[in-house]
Amino acid sequence: MNRVVSRHWIFLGLFVLVALAMGSGIRLDTPVSDRTAELYDFIESLPEGSVLLVSFDHEASSLPEIRPIGQALLRHAFRKNHRLIGMALLAEGTAIGYRLMQQAAAEYGKEYGKDYAYLGFKPQYIAAILSMGESIPATFPKDYLGRPYESLKALDGVATYADVAGVLSIADGSLTTHWMEYGRARYGVRVVSGVTAAMVTTYDPYLASGQMYAMMGGLRGAAEYEDLIARPGGGKRGMLAQTATHLYVIVLIGLGNLSYFLARRKKETS
Amino acid sequence: MNRRVALVICFGFGVVMFAQYFSQHPLARGVNQAVLEYWQIIFAFALLLGVVSFFQNNVRQIRHGSDRPYRIVSLIGLLAMPVVAVIGRIGAGSPFLWIFENVQAPMQSTVFALLAFFVASASFRGFRARSVPAAILLGAAILILLSRSAIGGPLSGWLPDAADWIRHQPSMAARRAILIGIGLGSLTTSLRVIVGIERTWLGGGK
Repeated sequence: MNRVVSRHWIFLGLFVLVALAMGSGIRLDTPVSDRTAELYDFIESLPEGSVLLVSFDHEASSLPEIRPIGQALLRHAFRKNHRLIGMALLAEGTAIGYRLMQQAAAEYGKEYGKDYAYLGFKPQYIAAILSMGESIPATFPKDYLGRPYESLKALDGVATYADVAGVLSIADGSLTTHWMEYGRARYGVRVVSGVTAAMVTTYDPYLASGQMYAMMGGLRGAAEYEDLIARPGGGKRGMLAQTATHLYVIVLIGLGNLSYFLARRKKETS
Repeated sequence: MNRRVALVICFGFGVVMFAQYFSQHPLARGVNQAVLEYWQIIFAFALLLGVVSFFQNNVRQIRHGSDRPYRIVSLIGLLAMPVVAVIGRIGAGSPFLWIFENVQAPMQSTVFALLAFFVASASFRGFRARSVPAAILLGAAILILLSRSAIGGPLSGWLPDAADWIRHQPSMAARRAILIGIGLGSLTTSLRVIVGIERTWLGGGK
């Protein structure tokens, strides 16, 4: 009974803390890390009109973390007047990616078909990545809305990875690994990514070895990127809640250990 | 006889796909493209198989009366989404996109967010420094938690550096060891399948 009651108090405490943090409207400073700056520099340094393939390799469950990451990167790319080609290797990422691109494009007055296009979802990610290396039009004969590939100006001259400045994988799992293992290793395409915080350590070895060119990680990375593009969004907004939750967890760990050691000492002395 | 045919096909495809990787000849590229297209088609059928299996299993369970309301909702969702997509299309402002954004995405995010509550509870109950390795793990976790929040830097200049060191040295070393192990394991298993030593994929028996 005590276990259940204390668990409920812990849950309530977290809820109240996050609600207060989100409601307070305080913006915390998030100094830009070298990793996030590398990704910013990559997009910034590309010549205007460069083609970027944006792959939404995530599910709907990670949307609160993925949306700020995607928004920040898309806003930067559209602001730099790059040509964006969207796609998804997970079915759930398809509609989310389409909507994110549409919203970011509208903010910068970009036109569908001319400045950006959305190819939609392709099943079996390894086959899709390899197939695009042979021919992107053959892999996606039509876009997400059913229009022929050749009819979209944004896709003019884009036949294989050789015509793409880089692949930007926005992921909440290990799909970016396949971009590196098949897209990068087989066809030499440059891979950059925006991933959830839980996946950062998974990709650290690839980043260190140069197989991945640059990476932005988690809500913290999104907040840093928003500072770089001077456009606050969900990353900055969410950082206060994330900070409060992290501190809450640290306090709970401390309390849990305190009670554990007190109980142990009591047991030893009795 | 059937098993031998399957083994020969597996061996043939294995060798051809391995060899084409190193060739830029148009024939090799054509073979690669064709095989990749078939791969995607087979996968699409596997998806269809999953849908049919899900449908049949739920109908059976509804007949038996177990979790009936939940299963009915599942089936309505399964049938409604493709119908809505076909009738109302999938572009901006379509009912399909509306349902996805306002029903499916919030529900999945909510379920995922519940993890935070369980992590908070588990941190109080389970994360104890019972031994030296557990204490080291605990210390590393606290450092990473602080560094990923907005107060890590302002609290102390060395905190982000210490967290980065954990990520880039011990954590990455362990990660690399796992990755190399997986790579060697995949290579060995692939070779065993191609040459016909590993035959479990054919189904049980000898």
